[in-house]
Amino acid sequence: MDQSVAIQETLDVGENCLIAVQCLLLLRNGTESRLLGLVECSKEHALFLFSHRRMAITGNDVTLQEIIPISYDFSVVEVSSPDELAVVGADTRVRVTFLNEEMELKLPFGSHTRLFLTEVNRAWCDVCEQYPSSPKFAWLNKYQKNFKEPGSLTPSATRKIKKRDRSNTAHKENKHATSSTETIRGESLHESSQGREKAEIRNELVRSSQHTVSNKAQMLTMPQFGLRDNLVKCELLKKEETYTYIENFNFFLGTYNVNGQTPKESLHTWLGSTAQPPDLYCVGFQELDLSKEAFFFNDTPKEQEWMKAVSDGLHPDAKYALIKLVRLVGIMLLFYVKKEHAEYISDVEAETVGTGIMGRMGNKGAVAVSFRFHNSDICVVNSHLAAHIEEYERRNQDYKDICSRMFFRQLDLTLPPLTIMKHSIVLWVGDLNYRLSDLEVDEVKNLILKGDFETLHNHDQLKRQMDEEAVFVGFMEGEINFQPTYKYDTGSDEWDSSEKCRVPAWCDRILWRGKNITQLNYQSHMNVRNSDHKPVSSLLKIGIKVVNEEIYKRTFEDIVRSLDKLENECIPSVSLAQHVFHFSNVKFMQHQAQTLTLYNDGQVPCQFEFIQKLDEPAYCKPWLTANPPKGFVAQGASVDIDLEVFVNRSTAPELNSGQQQLEDILVLHLERGKDYFISITGSYLPSCFGSPIHMLCQLREPIQDMPLETIHKLNSLPRETSSPDTEKALDIPKEIWMMVDHLYRNASKQEDIFQQPGLRSEFEEIRDCLDTGSLDTLPGSNHSVAEALLLFLDALPEPVIPYSMYQQCLDCCYSNSQCKQIISLLPQCHKNVFNYLTAFLRELLKNSAHNRLDSNILATIFAALMLRSPTKQDILEKRKAKEFFQHFLVQESH
Amino acid sequence: MAKQYDVLFRLLLLGDSGVGKTCLLCRFTDNAFHPSHISTIGVDFKMKTLEIDGIKVRIQIWDTAGQERYQTITKQYYRRAQGIFLVYDITSERSFQHIMKWASDVDEYAPEKVQKVLIGNKSDEEHKRQVATEQGNKLAKAYGMDFFETSAFTNHNITESFTRLAELVLQANKKDLDLLRVSINDQLDLSALEEEAGVCDGSSNAQKTCWC
Repeated sequence: MDQSVAIQETLDVGENCLIAVQCLLLLRNGTESRLLGLVECSKEHALFLFSHRRMAITGNDVTLQEIIPISYDFSVVEVSSPDELAVVGADTRVRVTFLNEEMELKLPFGSHTRLFLTEVNRAWCDVCEQYPSSPKFAWLNKYQKNFKEPGSLTPSATRKIKKRDRSNTAHKENKHATSSTETIRGESLHESSQGREKAEIRNELVRSSQHTVSNKAQMLTMPQFGLRDNLVKCELLKKEETYTYIENFNFFLGTYNVNGQTPKESLHTWLGSTAQPPDLYCVGFQELDLSKEAFFFNDTPKEQEWMKAVSDGLHPDAKYALIKLVRLVGIMLLFYVKKEHAEYISDVEAETVGTGIMGRMGNKGAVAVSFRFHNSDICVVNSHLAAHIEEYERRNQDYKDICSRMFFRQLDLTLPPLTIMKHSIVLWVGDLNYRLSDLEVDEVKNLILKGDFETLHNHDQLKRQMDEEAVFVGFMEGEINFQPTYKYDTGSDEWDSSEKCRVPAWCDRILWRGKNITQLNYQSHMNVRNSDHKPVSSLLKIGIKVVNEEIYKRTFEDIVRSLDKLENECIPSVSLAQHVFHFSNVKFMQHQAQTLTLYNDGQVPCQFEFIQKLDEPAYCKPWLTANPPKGFVAQGASVDIDLEVFVNRSTAPELNSGQQQLEDILVLHLERGKDYFISITGSYLPSCFGSPIHMLCQLREPIQDMPLETIHKLNSLPRETSSPDTEKALDIPKEIWMMVDHLYRNASKQEDIFQQPGLRSEFEEIRDCLDTGSLDTLPGSNHSVAEALLLFLDALPEPVIPYSMYQQCLDCCYSNSQCKQIISLLPQCHKNVFNYLTAFLRELLKNSAHNRLDSNILATIFAALMLRSPTKQDILEKRKAKEFFQHFLVQESH
Repeated sequence: MAKQYDVLFRLLLLGDSGVGKTCLLCRFTDNAFHPSHISTIGVDFKMKTLEIDGIKVRIQIWDTAGQERYQTITKQYYRRAQGIFLVYDITSERSFQHIMKWASDVDEYAPEKVQKVLIGNKSDEEHKRQVATEQGNKLAKAYGMDFFETSAFTNHNITESFTRLAELVLQANKKDLDLLRVSINDQLDLSALEEEAGVCDGSSNAQKTCWC
């Protein structure tokens, strides 16, 4: 039954439960039954999860447990559990995720579940199409209040959603953290977390693209948004190596803490220090402007000044284009490329993350640029981490915050935003602010004087933290062969001579992460004296994936072709053991059946159905049925369909007369698949049953001894004309005579004659006897013969009293003389039959003491057969017909 | 980057039994050739993705039973096609003569805008040829169709003829396409458009019968 009705009862006006499905919620220690409804309100959708008692019939049977708004942060994906074999016909397991939460549900197998998922998917697609505007879900707020009532939820409800932790580190502490009071989260839709959710979907996609054929097929057949494009992308990604080759490019990376100064000298000695002009420049600054204005309004004239200084200081032997400038207060990153490379730069996105005061402000933090160069995705980060010698853990934390909070929008908005670490190449520059631990300032200066950077480096906090894998995991740094870049008296190469007398440190660093990267040079630039820091540069030789267009095109085409192939393989398909069925010697009211075996030889389960042909009222002729006419065949399974032929009184006349043959073509249709034609042929043995009286009167021989053409010809003769042959027609069909005579002689005193049914098998013998004349006397019991007589009358194409006279008979049913008058007007052979039969019935009534018949019973039975209505009879008509007939059962006085 | 979108439409293969409709389809979609002749008893289809003028075109190619006994039923599929191949066998005069009958059926049952291409298949069997190329050309001209002699066996003119028909269909539906190209950026289903149009006439769609 439709359980959405129960859900509907719990909803407000204007909210509609579109569809509901009963499902199992997967918990850590088992499952619980739930009712899941898709609820719509002013074009916004949400999933409502209810616990329920028994089969939910009314709103009282369900208790709302959970609402999941279908927003951009929502996803539902089908998952196949690794420890379960994919079984066709098994329950559908789905994972519903919203922001950081997920739950797994098992939905019952079948089309209803499909329909449900399709509807949910459609709702989600609607949201995506509206992007960037997002649904508000104001209508859900009232439900939120309900949740806050303590105890309104069963304990199990709190267990069912496990929080997915953001940093992938804090598994334990979070397990109990989720309380269901926070089950509505419609508000925070476009917070950074959406990226993770989309990433899940993509991962799911990538994973399933490696799945079995049938899994993919199901995905292909799902009406999902751009799925095919996504598959193509995934495949392209997997084959990237085949159509790209590695080409080296030189990246110049620089970092400089300018301590709020304005540029006073050329930066050429720093930026133009390489022998050859680099291909790309990524130049980071910190403390560009230390003024309050810069801090509060993020506005500074220094931006222009330093940008100009950089532009002027680039290598003079090449032309460069500034691709991107990004700044957060005093942290600025400039990204230049050689003019000729500009066209290979794409998908440029810049983002900032503040980690300063309150963990948000921009006095500390990072700016970053994400871009594609040829086919490589690169992220360049410039960060200024927390200061002070003892704060190295704070610096570690800043790094983590930057990594987790930095998201780059992707061009294709259906794709999840990128994190820093998702880039295959990450270049990280900045004033990382790590100092030298456990050394006095004099010791440090001594070691520097001796040039013992190795000893010094062992005291470097960054090195120590990296060795402990507490920060910059996976990053590389080249050997440091230059003296610490901090802290100098501005305008000189002298160590800090202020009161604080800072211990020198390698604050300014350049790190990288990714394959095919070699550092050609890593140095500081002592002769730049603008600041209390010295600028640092690193020249990296980076292997970039460059696309071979020709191979790319070929690969792309291969993928499209293989997807086509896959899709074609996944078109539902069956094989039929037989395409042609022949039913020979079909007899009146004889059941014949043959079996059509469908074997699902395709890659997917399929649904089959016999479908109607155009301009035909049913999928097959009335004498044929297919059982079952529709159904489901699992992959590799087969199903037997019974094709049954049965000729009854309504189909017999046209088959007897040759107007119809036993011929039909069935169209077996597979949903989303092919159609198969199945030919049905047969030969029908004409029978006196279903043949007209006047034709039978022409037949002196049993009907089946006559050539078919003769029968067909006789059938087509008009009722009144007698045979063109000289032979005189019979007064009545001999078959009637045989049955009546048999009954007259044997059954006049038979108790309950015409009231007790005969045997089917005996009827068949009687029919064969009449049609073939094989026996002189009719076989079977009296009751069987009686029934055969009734069936005979019933099957007459034109009743004993022709349809055309039916109304007349009813109209005069009260007048004995008029009734008799009408009978005298019947066609001769019909009149003969009528008189013969009524005479016989009157004989029977003489023996009513034995056979327990009365005129009432006989009139009821025979009026219904001999005085048939061309249309449906009502009660009054029936009564009149009986009345009419009873005039003929009255014993005539001799 | 231009937003991608799809066009989906249906092509139908018609012609006498044994002229090689199924082989043409297999060659085009799977690049395979199976010489043994198994009559198609029903309506089969395969998908193929092409790029024409930068438009991603997904075509569903329907392969029909050619045997005469099934023709009353296969006719009912015509109205769903945007393009039709009339196929004969160059080694069979009879199959060529029947093209007239196929063409008149198409006129009667297929949508007015349907695009047609005449195919003389089995061009590799030159020694058994009964229909001269010129005859094919003439007939095609008379009907205003493009004409190709093809061989599924040697892969001669297969891609060309399918691409040509796809182009013709695209051109014939260009107006709809251009209209929709502006407003819609996801899948455009020409076949769906046809069906929507079909609903209006009301007669044939009264029953919920699915032919797809």
